[in-house]
Amino acid sequence: MTGPHRGARLGRFTGRPVLVSLAFLAPALIALVVLRLVPAVMAFASSLSHTSLVTGETSFVGLGNYATLFSDPTFLQSVRVTLLFSVIVNPLQIAAALALAVLFTRRFAGVRFLRVLVILPIAVPPAVSAAIWSVAYRPDGLLNSVLSVLGIPPQPFLTSPSQALWSLIVLLSWIGVGYWMMFLIAGLQDIPTSLYEAAAIDGASAWARFWHVTLPLLRRPLAFVLVADTVSNFLVFAPVQMLTNGGPQGSTNVTMFDIFTRAYSVGDLSLAQAEVMLLVLLVLAVVIVQFRLLRGRD
Amino acid sequence: MKKCLALASLLAVLAAGCGTGGGGDTGSNTLRFVGPEDPKTFQPVIDGFQAKNPGVKVAYTQVPFDQLNATLQQRLAAKDDTIDVYTVDQPRVAALATRGFLADLSDWKDRVKQAALPAQYDVNEHNGKLWSVPIWTSDQFLFYNKTLLKKAGVTPPSSDPAKRWTWEQTIEAGKKAQAEGGAQWAFVPEQIEQYYQLQSLAESLGGGSGITGQDMLTPALTTDGWVKAMTWYHSLFDGKLAPRGVGSFQTSPLFTEGKAAFFAGGPWDVGGFAAAKDLDWGVAPYPYFAGGKQVTPTGSWSWGINPASQNQQLARKFLEYAALDPEGNLLTTKATTIIPSNRAAFEKYVPTLDALAGDKSKGVGAIMTYDAEHTAVARPRSVGYIQFEDVMTKAFADIRNGADPASRLQQATQEVTTAWAQLR
Repeated sequence: MTGPHRGARLGRFTGRPVLVSLAFLAPALIALVVLRLVPAVMAFASSLSHTSLVTGETSFVGLGNYATLFSDPTFLQSVRVTLLFSVIVNPLQIAAALALAVLFTRRFAGVRFLRVLVILPIAVPPAVSAAIWSVAYRPDGLLNSVLSVLGIPPQPFLTSPSQALWSLIVLLSWIGVGYWMMFLIAGLQDIPTSLYEAAAIDGASAWARFWHVTLPLLRRPLAFVLVADTVSNFLVFAPVQMLTNGGPQGSTNVTMFDIFTRAYSVGDLSLAQAEVMLLVLLVLAVVIVQFRLLRGRD
Repeated sequence: MKKCLALASLLAVLAAGCGTGGGGDTGSNTLRFVGPEDPKTFQPVIDGFQAKNPGVKVAYTQVPFDQLNATLQQRLAAKDDTIDVYTVDQPRVAALATRGFLADLSDWKDRVKQAALPAQYDVNEHNGKLWSVPIWTSDQFLFYNKTLLKKAGVTPPSSDPAKRWTWEQTIEAGKKAQAEGGAQWAFVPEQIEQYYQLQSLAESLGGGSGITGQDMLTPALTTDGWVKAMTWYHSLFDGKLAPRGVGSFQTSPLFTEGKAAFFAGGPWDVGGFAAAKDLDWGVAPYPYFAGGKQVTPTGSWSWGINPASQNQQLARKFLEYAALDPEGNLLTTKATTIIPSNRAAFEKYVPTLDALAGDKSKGVGAIMTYDAEHTAVARPRSVGYIQFEDVMTKAFADIRNGADPASRLQQATQEVTTAWAQLR
């Protein structure tokens, strides 16, 4: 009984390839809708409301939360800090990752060992890294001891508004550079050596080979690293919470930490959701520009 | 038929899933309790409760203090029913109650009033209702390193509350201990960036709590007292008398390692320092500013019930044992040195604290009793306390790290105003 029945059903589907492909895509699509789109819509809806912590009443305020944010010096400062942080940390990490990737694809004694050393911080949980660096950065900590041996006066590091962000950048690069380097090493190893040999025969210098062979052929992994690194740096949170609490004087109050403070320390979820929306828009805008720039040269 | 079965089982699963939402009473025998303390702290009271209620189990989860408020906010807002009982920082009662994070315990009003120390009832009330029960209260003392002071030729402060030192005297002696006694730091306040500790400085200079108004939603942080107190605090770090870069609650090792001449800490430190064998120390009353008021920090933790808990009856039973029964309340102080809020437990407790570290802790009981009656000033009760404390912690950190005190207090005023505007 079931044989012909099933056959008829399959027949119905095979006639419509769209339905078949939809059926295969369904698990991924459902996950996308349930885990991404629905929460995003809920967050947006919540960002348009305000719940009074005194009366407990929720009311629709339209774009009121957004207006509040744009008139709040703390939020505006957090955007400034985030942009400054991104402008410094992304080029720095990618340049360092690329330089190390090129270096570690060369053959020399101890290269594997050095590569492991650079990659090792990835294996350390971010919270543990932050704890280790917090001790090192203390005014009476390891780094100042090293500086004093070198005859350099002690530095305030995390306690100074002018050094705290830089201290975080160093810590995050210590963790991140090895990670991004791995993708670039994979990309470098995909470049056929014959191209380098041909360029060498044509008399290209090492710099010319890097510029005209390595970089163009590394564009795809580099694009991925650029976008993924940018996004991950926009979402930095744990080291800020553990090391500086956004201070001193708001100098490390990145937007992600500001959102956390509003949502969970202060308890104003709607305002935090509005800030999440703005952060997502900012990240999207930056990523779209990056994609455009990279695609334009194809 | 198969379809019907599948549908039925799906409905059953969904119904089971729905059953866990909202508060109620499932009569489970396991009570889930969340707080910031080391699990060892609550083991005696948990053991005592379990012995009195055979078959009942209390499962305690520790969340570090720095993350406790954010974690509770996150889980209670999501109506997480895996928390039955949790510790409540007393000035947060109003805010937590307003948000619906605490079950109403008003039927216990008279019992709590009778059982608790006088100042320990009010802190649990908001809008005429009782939301939590007091477990502990606190006090602050001035600990000093006898060895360092002796080397510097400084006569240590007396433990007699009538001969309380001023901050000016303390810092002068601390400086001498730095110069001549080999102390790395003159003075280290334990809660170096916390309002709990630093409120007393402004209060001593007549600056008030920092919150004013009938609804307690107006910041008052730019008063003379606040600016003077914070200027003094700023100078401690600027003058290298106290350390930068060490967080609150990471400070007591500086005293136990013999690096600090003076240390402002709580009763819990009496137990902690007693364990440091090589350390010779003494205890004196918490200082005040010359010409100012004698003010000491107070208040501690109450316990409350999550309204979303499925185990309301058992949770109430546990609170009753830990707060209203002197035996249970005393057990909460067995593994840590902290002042019990229950009147009868307090009376039994005072002599034990005095004897805890032999000669070193002598006089601490008398200081505690005197402070509770004469100098203790509680943190303000305001619906906006959570936002206020968050802003103040950052302001204290900045002032400590070199920000100009007057303008940073001005900035804090603006930040608190913005945060409170969102409350309405």
